[in-house]
Amino acid sequence: MRPSSLRITGALVADTFREAFSRKIFWGFFGCSSALILFFIFIMRIDVVQGAVATVSLFGSAGRSEDVQRLVHQAHGAIAAFLYTAGMFLAVFASAGLIPSVFEPGRIELLLSKPVARYHILLGRYLGNLLVIAVNLFYLVFSVWLIFGLKTGVWTLGFLVSSLLTLFVFAVLLTVVVLVGVLWESAAVTTMVTFGLMIVSPILAQQPLLQRLLSSETSRNTVRVFYYVLPKVFDLGRIVRALVIGDPVRDWMPLWSSALFGMVVLSAGLYAFAKRNY
Amino acid sequence: MSFAIETEGLIKIFRSRWSGKEVRAVDGISLRVDRGATFGLLGPNGAGKTTFVKLLLSCAHPTAGRATVFGRDARDAEARRPIGYLPENHRFPTYMTGRSMLDFYGALSGMDAASRRKRIPELLATVGLAEWGDVRLGKYSKGMLQRVGLAQALMHAPTLLILDEPTDGVDPIGRRQIREILQTLEHQGVTIFLNSHLLAEVELFCHDVAIIHRGRVALEGKVKDLTAGSGYRVEAENVPERLDLDLRGRARAAAERNGNIEFIFASREEANQAVDLLRAEHCAIEAVARTNSTLEDIFVKVVNAS
Repeated sequence: MRPSSLRITGALVADTFREAFSRKIFWGFFGCSSALILFFIFIMRIDVVQGAVATVSLFGSAGRSEDVQRLVHQAHGAIAAFLYTAGMFLAVFASAGLIPSVFEPGRIELLLSKPVARYHILLGRYLGNLLVIAVNLFYLVFSVWLIFGLKTGVWTLGFLVSSLLTLFVFAVLLTVVVLVGVLWESAAVTTMVTFGLMIVSPILAQQPLLQRLLSSETSRNTVRVFYYVLPKVFDLGRIVRALVIGDPVRDWMPLWSSALFGMVVLSAGLYAFAKRNY
Repeated sequence: MSFAIETEGLIKIFRSRWSGKEVRAVDGISLRVDRGATFGLLGPNGAGKTTFVKLLLSCAHPTAGRATVFGRDARDAEARRPIGYLPENHRFPTYMTGRSMLDFYGALSGMDAASRRKRIPELLATVGLAEWGDVRLGKYSKGMLQRVGLAQALMHAPTLLILDEPTDGVDPIGRRQIREILQTLEHQGVTIFLNSHLLAEVELFCHDVAIIHRGRVALEGKVKDLTAGSGYRVEAENVPERLDLDLRGRARAAAERNGNIEFIFASREEANQAVDLLRAEHCAIEAVARTNSTLEDIFVKVVNAS
């Protein structure tokens, strides 16, 4: 990559961060993450005796004793599940405005008048948006992992790896935000379409059951096509869970098929952006 | 020699996504702008001026024809490197300060950090916003936004400046300031392409103009040639009806203004004869002056004719 390309990418990423700061998106996530981290540092006390947890106390009141490994897995699992569901919805909701804002009349013309290829502008914005979420996600996950590790002596890599997968799912959903943003230039439509994909995913994930319930072959094929084509948010959630609790992952198909979906949708977004008149 | 801007048979047709209805915003414009020229693009609302500029900047894709900037195809991103652009209805991100905005657009124009750091205070001072560099753009007045927008267009020292209504919302002092900046740039050899509704401003600053109407070039030429149709204005009071009719027959134009009658004669001889006749009838001569056609006269004539 040429130095000027890096400079342009850097400027586009920095601009996305600036906009995220001004919209309080970044600080909102950062504040919530910090509150959770402080909770684990100061409120939750874990006494480990000879490798097993003697007591877990919250606000000074002691709870029942637990196995230390199990406790860490449960805590990591709860945080990962929260990040994967509520965190993902919040991230998409926050990002839905950051992409279409670039296409505002009076702003896009100025960007396009610069000696920068259109795909570069869109990819720079995409990367910036991804990094805004990544910084917050890794800040929370790494801090929690560190706190639990220091308090219990249990260091599991699965939790850290699961955050990469959470970011991957967000990256795939962000490609939808990009495509819909380019086509409709509306934060509301972008949010609806992306949320729709997230909501439909657990339904499509039940496709073996749906195959048995549906009577017509056409309906069964339709469900099958949708299942394989659309991103498998629900199935990837299962993989995240498996990674956190240390279970083996049996099928990586949801990962590569979602990656393929993301690449196709992002390419479509770049193509649509290249062809549009502003 | 390549021109700063050259278009050949440039056409842009917009088609409605739903009804399929077509609008020919630019309908075969062939235009050449010399390097170092000060060029004014004029036309009534909806004439296709902004679409033409967008085609030059590749914000819109031509349906047919071609456009080049300094010999390079306008669709090539590199063709935009020498261009500084100020759009008409710009919407600079309000979360940026004047300084961060200049830094951002400077970086996109390919400037390194050291050059940007050096250039930003210079430009803020040039446009009279030295004290406002760290204030968010959301706090700027419209005139200040225009001035910081001009600074943005000048960040990377462009050799072609495309300005869409640069003095829109700017007070008279700011307007003069902008004109002075543009004059300095003109002396430095920068090509200035001005898209403005303010005919007097274009007349004052530009040497070449093109008037476009309904997507076509209706008239093109040098301002001094277009406005060369000079005449002589004679204004008199208490002109008898018979003489009034006689002089109206000789004059190129006549009009009544505040009780006085104003005649425009094509030659000095005709004006002198009229003065003699008026004095013979004891009419009071209010004024005798030489006149030029204004760009506004030309503009109205061209637009009405086409």
